Amino acid sequence: MKEGCIPTLRALLAALLLLPVAAAAQDTGVALKDDTLRAEPFADAKSVGSLKKGASVTILKRASGWYQIKAGSTQGWVRMLSVRRGEAAQAGAGAQAGGVAALATGRAGTGQIVSTTGVRGLSAEELKAAKFDAAQLRKAESHAVSRADAQAYARQGGLKSVRFDYLPVPPSGGGGQAPKGR
Amino acid sequence: MRRLMLVAFAAALAAPVQAQSPLDSLRGLKDQLKQDSKPAPQPSAAAPQAKPEAAPKTGPAADLPPLPAFGDVPVQDEVKHGRHIAGSLLGAAPLVDDPALQQYVNRVGRWVALHSERPDLPWTFGVIDSADINAFAAPGGYIFVTRGLYAMLRDEAELAGVLGHEIAHVTRKHHLKVMQQSQMIGAGSDLLARRLAKGDDRVRGLIGTGAEIMARGLDKDAEFEADRDGVVLATRAGYDSYGLPSVLQEIGRVAAGSDSVSLLFQTHPHPDDRLARLGEAMGARFDGVSGARNLPERLRRAQK
Repeated sequence: MKEGCIPTLRALLAALLLLPVAAAAQDTGVALKDDTLRAEPFADAKSVGSLKKGASVTILKRASGWYQIKAGSTQGWVRMLSVRRGEAAQAGAGAQAGGVAALATGRAGTGQIVSTTGVRGLSAEELKAAKFDAAQLRKAESHAVSRADAQAYARQGGLKSVRFDYLPVPPSGGGGQAPKGR
Repeated sequence: MRRLMLVAFAAALAAPVQAQSPLDSLRGLKDQLKQDSKPAPQPSAAAPQAKPEAAPKTGPAADLPPLPAFGDVPVQDEVKHGRHIAGSLLGAAPLVDDPALQQYVNRVGRWVALHSERPDLPWTFGVIDSADINAFAAPGGYIFVTRGLYAMLRDEAELAGVLGHEIAHVTRKHHLKVMQQSQMIGAGSDLLARRLAKGDDRVRGLIGTGAEIMARGLDKDAEFEADRDGVVLATRAGYDSYGLPSVLQEIGRVAAGSDSVSLLFQTHPHPDDRLARLGEAMGARFDGVSGARNLPERLRRAQK
């Protein structure tokens, strides 16, 4: 079954990987809160309109923490985390109905393990039954790299270390109950 | 493989697979144990430092050292336990047979880990051959991403964000602390543990040995914390801070309803909740970061 799945999967994955950082053209989303649409992906860019919580949007592309979106006839940039991707598509597609149910089950943490039909999965049972594989572990450790190797590879990519403090726990807390009404 | 288990963990396999509730009852205890998880001063990743802590050459669980119920675990012991969990996880899903891919993931992961408080653990990263969408961290610095999750990634910054989340589980010792608690309760010798457990048999055998711990959720606080830390670690390493949020959005969009996320959704808060918390925590704090990279051209396609 693994072999049978892989060509299709690989084709799909290849297609996915060929996408640029930009989101797919027909990507949709829903505004999670009221926010300002801006002419450019910066907090101090000119306002070009406003986005209402619950509004359906089309996501055109992403630039770091910003999405360029279209909401109705207005186009502009909004903070990425003000938008939830995918809602509109899910609501409309019958094929997704089972998916939404499974999702809700997983989320509530009350459901049974969803069966892994057709695709090889890593279920809780499989993990429980797993046997220690010394050869694989040695293989994994053989791929580990030194500090110097990692630094050299980072330099090649133009990566520069930045000082940045850890984030404080936000007002709604580090955990606890999930916010209602997604 | 029962002979491989720690005695203290022996009851675990009989425990029902219930994602998070057993852990919730231990949250108070967990908070006490958090006292030593304050972040240390940021190390300088550019400066040469001590040699990596050597990975001990232990086999399976036969001689795993006992874990203290409270306080610090010697690094050598932590690594031994991590190796055992990693080897068991690899028994469930082997490495993708692609040395160039594995080396690439190690280079990115080690670079991100160099920006943590534990730069010199024997960090080992890998892509494992499962279509599931998930990632795993074991104590001592063993981190694995499934082929399914890897295939969702669109650039190196997203990989860095995912690895950053897992690295944070290791640097904050999230799993290690759960294992310490579990051992204490399994031994049944600690009054505090008994009181917290309220005579509830569910907490007995909370965690098994080997890869089973990967099938059990941490509490939500730990996941939200790892999200926040993961974003920061990727940022410190020079990547676009929004790699991890972008992956979470993709998981929420593409994977909803797919079997490939069933374990992920059992053991983590829903991506929407994680994104909401991250959005709140990140706010405009990252607006001033400049020079960050995405590096889509470097992301290696999995072979095969």
